[in-house]
Amino acid sequence: MRLVIARCSVDYVGRLTAHLPLAPRLILMKADGSVSVHADDRAFKPLNWMNPPCTVRESEEDGTHLWTVTHGKSGEKLILRIEEFLHDSSHELGADPGLQKDGVEAHLQELLADHITTLGEGYTLIRREYPTAIGPVDILCRDAEGGTVAVELKRRGDIDGVEQLTRYLELLNRDPALKPVRGVFAAQEIKPQARVLAGDRDIDCVTLDYDELRGIEPDVPRLF
Amino acid sequence: MKFRVERDVLADAVAWTARALPVRPSVPVLAGILLDANEDEGTQKLKLSSFDYEVSAQVSVDIDVEEPGTTLVSGRLLAEITRNLPPQTVEIDADGAKVVVSCGSAKFTLLTLPVEDYPTLPKMPQVTGSVGSDVFHAAVSQVAVAAGRDDTLPMLTGVRVEIEGDTLTLASTDRYRLAVRELTWTPENPGMSAVALVPAKTLADTAKSLTSGAEVSIALSDAESGEGMIGFEGGGRRTTTRLLDGEFPKYRTLLPDSFGSVAEVQKAEFMEAVKRVSLVAERNTPLRLSFSQGRLVLEAGTGDEAQAVEALDSELEGEDIQIAFNSAFLLDGLNAIDSDIARLQFTTSTKPAIITGKPADEESSSDYRYLIMPVRLSS
Repeated sequence: MRLVIARCSVDYVGRLTAHLPLAPRLILMKADGSVSVHADDRAFKPLNWMNPPCTVRESEEDGTHLWTVTHGKSGEKLILRIEEFLHDSSHELGADPGLQKDGVEAHLQELLADHITTLGEGYTLIRREYPTAIGPVDILCRDAEGGTVAVELKRRGDIDGVEQLTRYLELLNRDPALKPVRGVFAAQEIKPQARVLAGDRDIDCVTLDYDELRGIEPDVPRLF
Repeated sequence: MKFRVERDVLADAVAWTARALPVRPSVPVLAGILLDANEDEGTQKLKLSSFDYEVSAQVSVDIDVEEPGTTLVSGRLLAEITRNLPPQTVEIDADGAKVVVSCGSAKFTLLTLPVEDYPTLPKMPQVTGSVGSDVFHAAVSQVAVAAGRDDTLPMLTGVRVEIEGDTLTLASTDRYRLAVRELTWTPENPGMSAVALVPAKTLADTAKSLTSGAEVSIALSDAESGEGMIGFEGGGRRTTTRLLDGEFPKYRTLLPDSFGSVAEVQKAEFMEAVKRVSLVAERNTPLRLSFSQGRLVLEAGTGDEAQAVEALDSELEGEDIQIAFNSAFLLDGLNAIDSDIARLQFTTSTKPAIITGKPADEESSSDYRYLIMPVRLSS
């Protein structure tokens, strides 16, 4: 990753032409070959950019540095005229482990297993990640009457989650040691469509409060 | 099936029944309104019904039946059509797969849904007592405002109904405020006592829609008879709803009984001032109130942002007090009291305060209480 802060003007020549007048900007040159030009706003969105595959040719013209980024297939060009370098550094970042969107989901599973009575008084845990032929069920537990309950956990409760739970329930209900198995669809937020589908299949919906499960005190004082 | 009915009568009945139609029907027939034209107890009646497995609604109106029968048509469409018909006599003629609605020179042909697939409406439980419809509507709207809207704690989305002889107590809370209203009613059995948890939104809608009759009968199913259900009936309209499960918080212990300061403020002025000053209060930032002898100062906003301040006349008994509230919750409470003068009772600035209307005479206590949790005074 090469970070350059420079006073530059940028021209895009290709299917459309665009011009950025002379101003200080951040230029990111990433290991995949991409080049993007950022202003000091708009979070992730560059002013202009070139996707890989592309090549960068550096040259000089009347004392200004000229970087010509050419796209490998379309031949479109991003031309940067750099008047002055304010910063230039390179860092080896290596391979990224990737964004973990399901970190909360795993944590929810752990928390709900620890506080299984959130689902109702008298509930007891059988196990987390209960294995079935088509993958593990998030939580298998027993209700106060001793009936088996399969829990599917989601951050956002969508139709897909209900479908998934339906498949598990069908399989679990073939096991004479477990059946009848009831389903509980638990999520921080349940979409109305998912609620209708769950209701139609006799699956209960439970909305979870992540902060409450974590024992985080609310900012706003409450009566109880 | 064939009958005639006045447009206004039909439109009212259909609109009321359509309220209980599910937004997302899981079975197509649930999107329908059942029309049943028959002779019932010696009079010719049209009964309209809707049901979504949670709430059922049924209304009956007197009509001239030419040919008795039953049919099921799309409720939304029928409601739209009847609302837009000219003010004349409507004739409805059902013949197998089609229903023809004619009124003046307008004529609509609707497809029917299979009547035999329509679920049977739950039976109305036995009547437990009755109450004036306007009083009931007022009481329910005073209480339902404090009910929770978040499904994390389903029992807080309900209004707790407590019956103790001739006293009916309604309570709801979302953990930030608590509203309690007591009213007298006429129970069937003077010695009875019962509790129920009714979905707040349904209860509020029901109470509002039953003000066309003078009285509302309330029918609560026995706790032993399995599924909990409550029914309401008045002015030819009857509706049932499933009760909520879960333990309602023991709210009575939350109500303080001794106070360090009691303030009285003109309600209308106070509400106006709250609305004005809270214009600069961003979401979740508090509205600060300082009560001193003869004076109430409202403030919002901090040094970094826009600020507002306004002073009002007010009576204060006891210690001066500074306290901060969420302005929307404060307004809900002030709006709900039924007196021109708001009485606010405080213990300390971190303990809940009670808002009531000033009672007509000093001896009687107010039958409506709105408990509100203060927020931290940001310095």
